[in-house]
Amino acid sequence: MNLTGKPNPVSAYLNTRVTLFSSRLWPAESLNKLIETPAEEMGATLGAHDLPQLAAGFDSLDNRSLEQRIIAQLLEETTVLIRPLSGVERDFLTYWTERFEVSNLKTLLRGKMTGERPAALLNRLTPMGSFGRVDINDLAHAEDVNELLRRLEAGPYAAIVRQARRAFEESHDPFILDAALDRSYYEGLAQRARPLETAAGLSFRCLMGGLIDRINLVWLLRYRFNYNLPPSQVYFLLVDSHYSLGSMRLRELAAQTRLEDILAALPTPLRASMEGVTEIPQVFTRMERAAAASAQQVLRSSAPAIARAFAYLLLRERDLRAVRAVLRGRLLSLPTADIRLAMYQTLEGNA
Amino acid sequence: MFRAEPLVKIRLLLLASEAPDAALELARFGIYSPAQHAPAALAEKPAEAYREAWLEAESRVAKLAERCGGLPELSIPQGVAAPTLSDLEELNTWLKEVWNACLAAHESEASIQEEVRHLDALQDTLNKLERLDVDLTQLLRPNGLLAVNIGSLPAASVKRMGEALSMTGSLLYMFDTVGDQAYAVIAGPRERHREVVGLLAQAGWRELPVPQELCAHPHAARSCLLEERKRVESRASAECTAMDNLRGTYRSGLEEARLRVALGRPLAEAAIAGVRGHGALASLSGWIPRRCKKELKAALEARFHGQYWLNLEDPQASEARQVPSLVNYPQWLLPFVPLVKSYGIPRYGEFDPSLLFALTYLLLFGAMFGDVGHGGVILFLAVLLYRKLGRAAWVGIAAGVASMGFGLLYGSVFGYEDLITPVWLSPLHEPTRILTVAILFGIGFITFTLLANSYNQFNAGHIGAALFDSTGLAGLLFYLGATASIIGLANLYRLADFSQLAWGMALLGISMVAIFKWVETRASFGERVLVTAIETLETGINLFANTLSFMRVAAFSLNHVALALAVFTIANGLGTTGHWLTIVLGNVIIIVLEGGIVAIQALRLMYFEGFSRFFSGDGTEFVPLKLAGAK
Repeated sequence: MNLTGKPNPVSAYLNTRVTLFSSRLWPAESLNKLIETPAEEMGATLGAHDLPQLAAGFDSLDNRSLEQRIIAQLLEETTVLIRPLSGVERDFLTYWTERFEVSNLKTLLRGKMTGERPAALLNRLTPMGSFGRVDINDLAHAEDVNELLRRLEAGPYAAIVRQARRAFEESHDPFILDAALDRSYYEGLAQRARPLETAAGLSFRCLMGGLIDRINLVWLLRYRFNYNLPPSQVYFLLVDSHYSLGSMRLRELAAQTRLEDILAALPTPLRASMEGVTEIPQVFTRMERAAAASAQQVLRSSAPAIARAFAYLLLRERDLRAVRAVLRGRLLSLPTADIRLAMYQTLEGNA
Repeated sequence: MFRAEPLVKIRLLLLASEAPDAALELARFGIYSPAQHAPAALAEKPAEAYREAWLEAESRVAKLAERCGGLPELSIPQGVAAPTLSDLEELNTWLKEVWNACLAAHESEASIQEEVRHLDALQDTLNKLERLDVDLTQLLRPNGLLAVNIGSLPAASVKRMGEALSMTGSLLYMFDTVGDQAYAVIAGPRERHREVVGLLAQAGWRELPVPQELCAHPHAARSCLLEERKRVESRASAECTAMDNLRGTYRSGLEEARLRVALGRPLAEAAIAGVRGHGALASLSGWIPRRCKKELKAALEARFHGQYWLNLEDPQASEARQVPSLVNYPQWLLPFVPLVKSYGIPRYGEFDPSLLFALTYLLLFGAMFGDVGHGGVILFLAVLLYRKLGRAAWVGIAAGVASMGFGLLYGSVFGYEDLITPVWLSPLHEPTRILTVAILFGIGFITFTLLANSYNQFNAGHIGAALFDSTGLAGLLFYLGATASIIGLANLYRLADFSQLAWGMALLGISMVAIFKWVETRASFGERVLVTAIETLETGINLFANTLSFMRVAAFSLNHVALALAVFTIANGLGTTGHWLTIVLGNVIIIVLEGGIVAIQALRLMYFEGFSRFFSGDGTEFVPLKLAGAK
């Protein structure tokens, strides 16, 4: 079905493509098996799960190369999914990939703050292929943060960067720069999701709500208790949201001084899922698990194709990060139990 | 002109410290194309750090040159040495200093501009400030109960800021918007002002300095603003002078830096593919034309006095795919080369079709669009647009001349068939003859492509394919035999007498093709039978379908006349003005529409009926290291 609810060839194509892709997802037992797979079978196992990018040279990849290959794999699959799309649907999925580029920009900004050389910086960036919107080679040769920010302001990230630059010039605090970039990115995502929520219905809203609420709650806890920021600053740094954690609720949560008070002030369904939680990492785990379950449900349902495609991409990224944890653990020759723990933490607590 | 120049593999081994000069020497020649074929023992990449430093310097010089403007054209004198790595690092440090000085000046300029915009905005908002229904003297009192801020923030953040401020007991009142900036007053309890200041920093808040006069006498602020504007203007003028001084101070150094960057370019570029090393040794490898061996040896000897090891050897047959193609074209052929390269680059040792392309393309275009008038217009336009089109205009000039030549042969001027007598034939009156000529041309063209392919296959060492494949000599034997048989059946050109011989040739040719396909196919018995049968059948069908494709040459020459007739028919039904208007517009349409179609059709015939049969087009272009600005 398309956005107006009528069946069309684009939706049929996308639905079929998502169904085919969903067979690539890793059930928990496959990931468990991967930990103990003999080294000589590893390449074939990864290849069998349609991970050619990881299968080649998996035993010699450092963390950065692994991350780059995972992102390359995700970008490749997104390219296939957006092929038949146009308008707001295409715009949304394309924007979803831009967070990798925003991450590149943050690496560039941090690199410029520490005076890292362009070649070393370029080596750490993720190639964005056809999704790239900026010339990273040119940006890497900027002399300092101010020059970099001014160059970015003249490009496609002007809207995201302008406010961040003003804030950075006032405070010279790299945290503010990162926080402003992240917040602007997710607000842009929520904006692009709005027309789809109206048209693609509850399933899409559910996925977006899960994502933005999770990000807001995780940031709120982090800013409030790890960085000890005052409530008003915490609230200002959160994503403007119209999901279950709306503006009023976020202000109320940010004003609390203890974790248990925050959890008690959550809306009912979220509060119920936090039963028995006493530490911040447990909050991340519970929310990640709930988001994954919700994405699984959307993927298995007859939801609109765009919602299923988005659910697939969320789950695929989660899986690939778990695979990365396994490969990293094996490369470092960690004990199986430690790798398993790292893998589960990645699956359930990667906020 | 017909094939790539013979190249030799070069391996130059010398001290790593001399690699920049060696690369510079090779670049001066303009005959060295870097490629990686150093021995496995030389696995290090000694020029990588050099390239990195060079890229930084190059980027800085480019930025500074852009800022400075008006630098003279770069000229590289003979005999100067290339910068070493430490030279480049030193240069980088200096360039960074200069850039920082320029950047400070630039930032200062930007801040002045921002200040001017700010003052403009302040001027605009002054009236609104005056109308604020508050006693500013009381409001801005430093020891009052309320802490007050007046300033601007991004308009998109106003709502969120208001909500966040409410958590500190403060209020936000927006009183103006200019562009994407909102101007607002914030007031809140003084004891929580520190929290508000932190929040404002996050939002990119910019405080408006409210002059003291405004507090007591708001109308006095105008003169205060005027004073401020004068101050900013004098600062701007001082900055301009400072910037000019900077340009003057660094100009000669910058020119020197640009020269050094140009001298370092060869090694930095060679580093991508052709420089390996071990310890203090570096090896530059790649390809040079065989004719330049002696010249190169002499130049290296003069520069390094025997302190190097040079190995030059012919490429092995197994390396043929890695050897780049260097073809020297005469000047007049150059405009046509991009059209060939848009299909592909000839492999090393492969027949280069540029000359064939140029001649055949013009012949086909002229034959399909033969008209003295229309050709003249194309010629005139190409000459007119020569400056804009550059070398490509010669393709238009040649196409116009070809069209005019065939116009004379056909006796056609702007579609009029009766103004001049055809030197050869009129397509409209002798359609069968022109169709026959087109097909005969097609037979000749395809025969040539099969011969060219056999030549290419022989050169590549594929003797079997050259002799027995469907696009080799066996295919040619079948094609000529079958064509002669068909012509004999039609009892033309007295070929019926040779009918048996022709059928024999065709049968022998197709049998050889079938056997070759059978031998070459690596598959199960059934699959081999199927592949052999289908591919053999395809050989026959393709060759004849491609031959018939040349009928379009005749069809388009007829089409040209038919279009002109249609224009005349419409024009003759109108009055004098309408008649000539139709004639002119009709001819414009014929030139634009039919001319465009014919140009594409001629290209299509060349690419698909010609190139696809013998030209692989997957070669690598010989890209020599070059020295920009060398004298």
